Amino acid sequence: MATNTESVDLVGDETVANIARAALFAALMGAFAYVSFPNPLAAGVPITLQVLGVFLAGIMLGPVWGAIAMVLYLVAGAIGAPVFSGGAAGIGHLIASPTLGFLWSYPIAAAAVGLVVHRGVGLTEYKSASTPTLVGAMVLGTAIIYALGTVGFAAIQYDPWYASLGQAFVVSSLPFIPVEAVKIAAAVGIVKSDAIAAA
Amino acid sequence: MISVDNLTHAFGETVVLDSISLSIDDDEFVVLTGPNGSGKTTLVRHFNGLHTPTAGDVRVNGAPVESDLVAARTAVGMVFQRPEDSFVAATIAADVAFGPENLGLSHDEIDRRVETALAAVNLSGRGDERIDTLSGGEQARVAIAGALAMEPDQLVLDEPFSGLDEPARRSLLSHLDSLSADGTGIIVVTHDLRGVLERCDRVLALSAGSIVLDAPPAMARQQLPSLDVYVPLTADSDREHSRDSHESAGR
Amino acid sequence: MIGYTPGSTIVHRLDPRGKLAVQLAFAIAAFAHTTPRGLAALTILALAIARLASVSVVRAILSVRVLAPFLIAAPLVAAIRLSPPAIDPSAAFQPALASYRVLLVFVVAAAYVHTTAVRESRAAIQRTIPSRPGVLLGVGVSLVFRFLPVLRRELTTVRAASAARLGTERPLVDRIRRLVVVGVNRSFTRADRLSAALSARCFAWNPTLPQLSFTRLDIPVFATAIGLLAAAVFV
Repeated sequence: MATNTESVDLVGDETVANIARAALFAALMGAFAYVSFPNPLAAGVPITLQVLGVFLAGIMLGPVWGAIAMVLYLVAGAIGAPVFSGGAAGIGHLIASPTLGFLWSYPIAAAAVGLVVHRGVGLTEYKSASTPTLVGAMVLGTAIIYALGTVGFAAIQYDPWYASLGQAFVVSSLPFIPVEAVKIAAAVGIVKSDAIAAA
Repeated sequence: MISVDNLTHAFGETVVLDSISLSIDDDEFVVLTGPNGSGKTTLVRHFNGLHTPTAGDVRVNGAPVESDLVAARTAVGMVFQRPEDSFVAATIAADVAFGPENLGLSHDEIDRRVETALAAVNLSGRGDERIDTLSGGEQARVAIAGALAMEPDQLVLDEPFSGLDEPARRSLLSHLDSLSADGTGIIVVTHDLRGVLERCDRVLALSAGSIVLDAPPAMARQQLPSLDVYVPLTADSDREHSRDSHESAGR
Repeated sequence: MIGYTPGSTIVHRLDPRGKLAVQLAFAIAAFAHTTPRGLAALTILALAIARLASVSVVRAILSVRVLAPFLIAAPLVAAIRLSPPAIDPSAAFQPALASYRVLLVFVVAAAYVHTTAVRESRAAIQRTIPSRPGVLLGVGVSLVFRFLPVLRRELTTVRAASAARLGTERPLVDRIRRLVVVGVNRSFTRADRLSAALSARCFAWNPTLPQLSFTRLDIPVFATAIGLLAAAVFV
């Protein structure tokens, strides 16, 4: 055997497990892009599961690996995996799309949700987090996603961007915010149920 | 060569393997059988350093597995149950190259290994195909190629026939024949002995964490029914027959 | 839908790093010159790139049709004056140019996606980002490509099965919860099996980097990227 086994720097078992989970979660985010539910509040605005995926990444993978999962999702989409809304792909979504602020907010929001739920960068037993903590974390996550989404939209569509934040908010965020309550309720149900196998 | 000495493995309070000792040479074709939950998968994962012993030790080519994981993992190749979850790339050649890349080999050597491994499982020239378009039997062969590209001395296959139809099963068996003839040790973990009993040199049976049989196939064929190990033996008719008698005994 | 399609166009043979550089420079130039003249010039370049890559411009634009409401609404909303209520079409002009600019960047990005295999993009990532972050991103992204079709199929099956049992009659929160629980559980189960397979194949921080090398064909690609950047800064 020609291999010099000492020169191989193996990835530790725990890190391997985290990478596998982050990658599978990123792929799940991509699969969510193909699923939408009819919106009871506004028929023209279907409910997608991407934002729910961001919340759960922070809750289940923690702030660090949750954010890494979101980065993997974005990079995979940028180089051609059909993971963005409606199964689209390409770096245009990250550098030119009016929705780029939403996409860039995902790693930040996942990290923020994870930091609140796990009370730090480490990973704790998320099932023991109280409902107010979970809801508060996801409200914060929602605020980050829509704040960055609105700024991104204004920056792409309007000049100067700061003069048109109101218009940007109305077009890019307002129609979608009410159903976030549904997703937060679903996320609490998912986390609090015993349906998810041990993390 | 794998040597296991007094290996005990416990998950919490549950003892899955209870002081097992055995050794398997590089030129053997071994079948490891036993009912579900008997500890087969846990045992073979120790050969590759995927578990740490609760007590006892596991050596590959004389060295304790945990002292040099890379040496153990290159000497003993693993093909897992449900191969579809063991692929790291979307296309065949990119997946098979993963192991050799991790070993830091040169590009020429990686290419050579990928070609040799694909040839060994009859997938030459199909390296650019997408894995998710392949049949279950083809995916099983890609997983074997991925392990072969590490150029192992011994190859462990965990329940390789589950989910395969009869032609895919027969094709897989003939690939195992030729690997064995070329000098790779084969260790097949299965609860379904059809087609493997006549090929192997040795049968090991586990039950409740202990080895209850270690015998050549002819002897195993006679003793297995008397042990508390329910396994389908050879032809389909045998299996049907034993299942019938099982049921009638229950009525 | 736009996805990688094996082919023999000149763009297929280019180094992925050069193609990435052109996309970034193109976007920067488009932002710097969101004027009728600037966008006209960039339209010609985008069409030329699409032609060289033999990617359909129509399909590239249709692939982002879910963005259409935003691209149309942005200029319309800008034209509305609240006090006194009125429509000011001239205020919609700049946002409309901005919407058009987005489409141009998508056409150029589609040329990359159409002509670049995952393996090449992964090589570009690992050769550009050093050490552990590069390995993590390269292998992680490769895994996303591998498992995306698997999980998509799984979610589709779950939804079909649930619809067959009149799951569509259940409250919305409940339906979302059920689907996501199955998706997450299956993903984690697969991840556990995958991590054993990664370890067994000696997943390492210092693998042989994927092969990638520049050729003379890549010189005009980088020249284009530099030209676009220069146009953005100096013109």
